[in-house]
Amino acid sequence: MALSCHLRALTLCLTPTIPRSHFNSISLPSTPHQPRYYTQNLTRPAQIYRSTSTDPYLNLSIEHHLLQRSHPDSTVLFLYTNRPSVVIGRNQNPWLEVNLHALRQGLPPPPRPLPTPSPPSQNLPQPKPIEQASRNDPPIALVRRRSGGGTVFHDAGNANWSVICPPPAFDRDKHAEMVVRALRRLLSTSASASPGKKKKVRVNERHDIVMDDDDHLDEEGVGGRVTKSTFKVSGSAYKLTRSRSLHHGTCLLASENLGRVGRLLRSPAEGYIKARGVESVRSPIRNVGLRGDEFADAVVREFRSMYGNADGREVFVGEEEALANEEVVKGLRELTSPDWVFGQTPLFTFSTHPTEDDPRERPEMAHKLPEKFQAQFTVRHGEIQAASVSGLEYHYAVDDASQDVILSNAMVEQRLHHIKDWRSTLRQASPVPVDAEGVGEWLNHMFGIQTLSHNSGGAMAEAVIKAISDTAVGRFLDRHH
Amino acid sequence: MASIARCLRVARPTAFSAALRTSVSRTIGARPFSVTATNEIRKYTREHEWVDLSADMKTGVMGISEYAAKQLGDIVYVELPEEGKEVQAGDAIGAVESVKSAADINSPISGKITQVNLVLEEKPGTINQVAEDDSHGGGWVAKLQVSEEGLKDFEALLDTKAYEEYTAEEGEH
Repeated sequence: MALSCHLRALTLCLTPTIPRSHFNSISLPSTPHQPRYYTQNLTRPAQIYRSTSTDPYLNLSIEHHLLQRSHPDSTVLFLYTNRPSVVIGRNQNPWLEVNLHALRQGLPPPPRPLPTPSPPSQNLPQPKPIEQASRNDPPIALVRRRSGGGTVFHDAGNANWSVICPPPAFDRDKHAEMVVRALRRLLSTSASASPGKKKKVRVNERHDIVMDDDDHLDEEGVGGRVTKSTFKVSGSAYKLTRSRSLHHGTCLLASENLGRVGRLLRSPAEGYIKARGVESVRSPIRNVGLRGDEFADAVVREFRSMYGNADGREVFVGEEEALANEEVVKGLRELTSPDWVFGQTPLFTFSTHPTEDDPRERPEMAHKLPEKFQAQFTVRHGEIQAASVSGLEYHYAVDDASQDVILSNAMVEQRLHHIKDWRSTLRQASPVPVDAEGVGEWLNHMFGIQTLSHNSGGAMAEAVIKAISDTAVGRFLDRHH
Repeated sequence: MASIARCLRVARPTAFSAALRTSVSRTIGARPFSVTATNEIRKYTREHEWVDLSADMKTGVMGISEYAAKQLGDIVYVELPEEGKEVQAGDAIGAVESVKSAADINSPISGKITQVNLVLEEKPGTINQVAEDDSHGGGWVAKLQVSEEGLKDFEALLDTKAYEEYTAEEGEH
């Protein structure tokens, strides 16, 4: 069964689904069969889809298309794995949630030893040799999804699962429980589950899937001493529309990068930003220690036992087929646009000093900064609405206070994600020549811009576009502008 | 608002309808400052939005029902509709986030958004406290200029009693 599915999948992906001319660069085999669009299955009562793409923007767009176009009474399972990406919730702030600078630098080779639990099973992918991986660190995609909740990291060692159902059947735990049943089954039979090790997976009160490890020896390895520890292995997020409910999560299977996630998800501006919207809750995480295909097969099995479709097909969706669908592409354009990623950020205030609204004591600033330097920005939808910068070192000081006002006013209406380099932005905003090196460099650091000595590091908006331009999806969007 | 009902089991259906009954009468009673208070009619969608139509049938105020607010749990963010936008009944015009869920707010009737409740930007939890209050400081979401089509949409909505029965039924499942 599984094999025939795979074969069908292959045919599906390679079948020309749109006129050839659109895909000059891709050579497609001609086939006598009618192309079977995955959309032909949208009316079935229980549908199972697996994406063969690892593009986070495309996978979320396929998912959104399924949410909007699957039959209102149907239940849909969609499984996919993304290349390295940081995915923020619908109403989150990337400047607060993410170390944008680290994100731009890409993913260095995984650290050794692997931060996985217990001895990994023999079948787990082995870490790449360092010399092979370090040449060109792949950029990490920054994605704002449409569902609520907090920020997560994705890579090839995770599996994303997603269930779409009618609103009356919606329950925040129901499908997390489904995944838990799949995990339990796998862990009880898996080669990695050595006797004496007890790993219990369950859904917690935050609707996350966690693993209780009863056999976690403390660091000294004192014989026989058992410590209890709980780790998150999959989160949950939801999107509820008029006619459909979506629940999805990311299950950590065998990610090589868990040791790096903490740094990626810690912004240097954290101590200075007060944001409306949703802040992430940090949880200790760990890998379950399973392969992606065995996880997917087990989840499919549990889904089938819940919704029938015992002999129903799994539909594999490939990049070409998905990109041939106009609605998918429309969603994709929205998700990849900097105005979505950054421009949908809820109102926030950045302030170098305690304010009535945000009285926290501030972290110590770099000592390069002028002693009296202060800055406060109120940013709505990525655009500076109010600015107050003072204490800069002007070369001619006729009247510092009014020079501050002129400079601050010139900052208003600038979009934060389009600022390329704060040094030049401040210089241009100032009515008289100003020494903006130190302050500009510090603000660059705060907002994720790389300060390069000769030139600007480029705006965040460009960084997001650059990170996708080298992918198949990026090239497609370029060609079909 | 999606029908988030049933599954979340915050309380028993009887408790819901009781709460609903008292709250609705309270909101309607306590409206001395509202200009159009005299003869406005309130109706509900099956997706749990409410809308008040003014006596002259030209303007409306809409929001999320108390029943839905209770089901959704603590609302931590409200994505407000866009002022000046022409909307059709059923269009997603905004969203609320609670317990990791982004739930669409749908326009109950067709018309044009004339004002949004900026209080919700600062205090999204207002919806949990006074979801069906259309006064200043209340949990209303948007004001609309009602189109002719909007009047027809309005006719098709549930009145207070029908909505009460509908939610009681939904809770029983």
